[in-house]
Amino acid sequence: MSTNTFEMNSFIDTAHAFAAKSVASIFDGEHADGKLDKIDDVLSTAFSIGLAASPDPNQPGYDYGIWGASLSETGLAPSALMLSSVAEVCGGMALNLHVQGLASQIIALASRKPASPPTRVAPAIQEEFGLPGWGTLNIPSLDAPARVISQAQKTKKGYVIDGVKPFMYAMPGAEAAVVFCRVDDNWGCFLIPLNLTGTQCSDVGVRSGLRASYLTHLTLKDVTVPAEARLDDGDALPLLMRALSLNWLGLAAIGAGIARGAVRAARKYASERYQGGTMLENHPVIRMLIAGAESNMEGASALVARAADIGLGTPELMRASAIARLTGMQLATEATTDSLQVFGGYGYMEDYGMEKRLRDVTVLKSMAGTPQYLKQFIFESGEAR
Amino acid sequence: MKPTDQTDIERQATPIIPDIIPDQTARTAKIRTDIHTATEADPTLKKRIAELAMPGASRNLNFFGKLLVDCAEKTIWERDTATLPLGCRYWRRKARDFARQYIRPDALAADLDPNNYDPKPILSAAAKAGFQTAMMPFPIGTAEPFAYLRAAVMQPAVIAEEFATECGGIGLLLLAHHLGCAPIMLSGHIPSMLRHLLPLYMRLKKGAAETMAFAITEPGAGSDVEETEGGAQAHLITTAKPAQGGYIINGRKCFISGGGFAQKVTLYAKLEGEGIESWTCFIVDKDMPGFSVGRLEHKMGQRASDAAELILEDVFVPKENVVGKLRSGWANNRNVLNYSRPCVGAMALGHGRGAFERALEFCRRTYLGPKRLIDYQDVQYTLSDMAMSLWSARAMIWHSCAQLLRCNQSSSATAKVIASDIAVKVCNQAIELMGDHGYVHANSVERLWRDSRLTQIYEGTNQINRLSLIEHLWETEFDK
Repeated sequence: MSTNTFEMNSFIDTAHAFAAKSVASIFDGEHADGKLDKIDDVLSTAFSIGLAASPDPNQPGYDYGIWGASLSETGLAPSALMLSSVAEVCGGMALNLHVQGLASQIIALASRKPASPPTRVAPAIQEEFGLPGWGTLNIPSLDAPARVISQAQKTKKGYVIDGVKPFMYAMPGAEAAVVFCRVDDNWGCFLIPLNLTGTQCSDVGVRSGLRASYLTHLTLKDVTVPAEARLDDGDALPLLMRALSLNWLGLAAIGAGIARGAVRAARKYASERYQGGTMLENHPVIRMLIAGAESNMEGASALVARAADIGLGTPELMRASAIARLTGMQLATEATTDSLQVFGGYGYMEDYGMEKRLRDVTVLKSMAGTPQYLKQFIFESGEAR
Repeated sequence: MKPTDQTDIERQATPIIPDIIPDQTARTAKIRTDIHTATEADPTLKKRIAELAMPGASRNLNFFGKLLVDCAEKTIWERDTATLPLGCRYWRRKARDFARQYIRPDALAADLDPNNYDPKPILSAAAKAGFQTAMMPFPIGTAEPFAYLRAAVMQPAVIAEEFATECGGIGLLLLAHHLGCAPIMLSGHIPSMLRHLLPLYMRLKKGAAETMAFAITEPGAGSDVEETEGGAQAHLITTAKPAQGGYIINGRKCFISGGGFAQKVTLYAKLEGEGIESWTCFIVDKDMPGFSVGRLEHKMGQRASDAAELILEDVFVPKENVVGKLRSGWANNRNVLNYSRPCVGAMALGHGRGAFERALEFCRRTYLGPKRLIDYQDVQYTLSDMAMSLWSARAMIWHSCAQLLRCNQSSSATAKVIASDIAVKVCNQAIELMGDHGYVHANSVERLWRDSRLTQIYEGTNQINRLSLIEHLWETEFDK
């Protein structure tokens, strides 16, 4: 990791300040998920201070925003820590910055850059069945366990793309999607404007948490794109591997941040609430709950830090990210639910924001691969090393 | 309503989760069809496996050997039901039919927009069907007397599981009523029963949409009023002051399940100038001057039932509304919790079962490459773990109910803790099995998960319940 401590701290300070001032401002009402109509203003601030990355080089966050273009220079840790900082206040807002950064990073890494890149982009990785398994990742036309159905067919002028990319997270106002699909027996990666004929974004509907981020199914029906829309030069597998690695790492970082926020809130509540003849924090059972939550939260953070310390583009990063996503998220969830328990009935009500944290981390835990999938993936990627 | 003998297999014909991925285009749909029909298992191997499975293999046993093998094609639900006393079997089947007919269709909307959910039709239907009077045996209530004598709360517990399988919020709306009635029944005070419970039950049997609520929690005393040591040091504010012909009550109660809707509340207050030892149970009618409903909480789950703040400002309660003896409230309250905790455990079990059933259907219907999800061994392993966990929770709940009429503190607390922890675990497993589909509201699994999380908190947090077991068994088990 090449970023020095001073630079790292300044990144994290920026994220902390953003979370404390801008993000926290949406929670001044009654509703647990905050004032969702204020999100766009908050995201505009994130772009203006360079926290949100963008494929557009004219944006302040192009290089050093979360998962910005200079990732090989900064290493992964600053982005992961910034995501955690924002997630301490709002997991959904951190997810907005993460998916924006993830798509921007793929475009920045691509061998063929778009001539006029959009500002807001979203990554579309999943297939109908979820993420590609180890065998399918290597050969997308193979049922190992399930072949990639979304596909692009080459024509004289460019490509015609068909398929459904379900559960695409995007920040509000996303203009284009970075779509992974099959081109013959290889992977292809395309930048597809979301207003193109044949594209349709259908709202997934009400969901448990992370409501600050948009979630849609992207349907592509005979979408015609020019040859320049393709970002890779014949095989997008390296781009896809980076996308998967960063996605798992980012989600794990957000989970760790949510858990940290939950533990802090529990400690504060326990020091203020009188119960059973003394302050709550004086009860050994409560101390056990909080200490256990802190340990789990630190465990989650450590798994993120370990993965973030590994070099970009290596198989080790992919495996460590998958482990951070699987086990780190489990630890973060346990930390969050135990922190909520400290509040008793108040934890279940919207007032203290604890139930929102639990909803958010539970959604994170279910995104980007089931435990069965991740375990199979970790096993097979271990064999390959 | 006549209960039926349908098994859970009927669910396959009536999907309980919707399709939420948009329709595939023609080209990708054809690819999917090719995948699904391409791979068939080796027919010879399939035949051998079928012969080696127990139904086939047992044909080689002699007559008596065959008699000792249970290969009946029965669901866990049917197997468990067959072990129950006849009265409980009747209510279990009836409750499942009712839940599917009345609760399931309302569950999603009631959770999304509880403020606009009108509970009266379902309360009336449940009352007419006899569910709202099943806490007392016939002829006062509708519980079957022989089963009642064997296990007093078994009938409400089997009903609770069925209701909660479809919706925690509507389930709580219906079941919290029993909690409101329980202090009267457990006071052993015949005049209170005749004066308050009997007329209410008569109205309910005719279909009245009426409920009672149970009010112990105060803003400064939640867990304190559910455990002895905490109770001794609790900061209670709700106080009853003797007056001509009754008492004047001042104070506040919070988080009262169904408190916003209930017509009457069994409410506990200390007597003026005394501590929690003087706790007395009063029946407070919402029409009494000075009584008002304050804030309705915004909850994470079980949203169809309100959690209300009750405000008492110089509320005059006649002495006829004192339940049992003065200062008997603490013991009454603790015993109510002993009787209600197995039912809370049963509700938790229902949430877990609802999530399991939906995840199971998802795994049957969803393809991963050439196979359905359920055909993968790792998925089967997880589903099996979920089913086993739920089964063990049910065993503990039914064991705690079958304590020869009375419920005891330790087995009730154990049932509640085991079942609620298992329910949350199973709901989490269901969400994870379904991946992104698991947290979508339309699929109901995330709702049941949110519902289940409350069962680890109310009726005493699971931490408090664990201490209850120590307290109950201290002399006999731990410190003898």
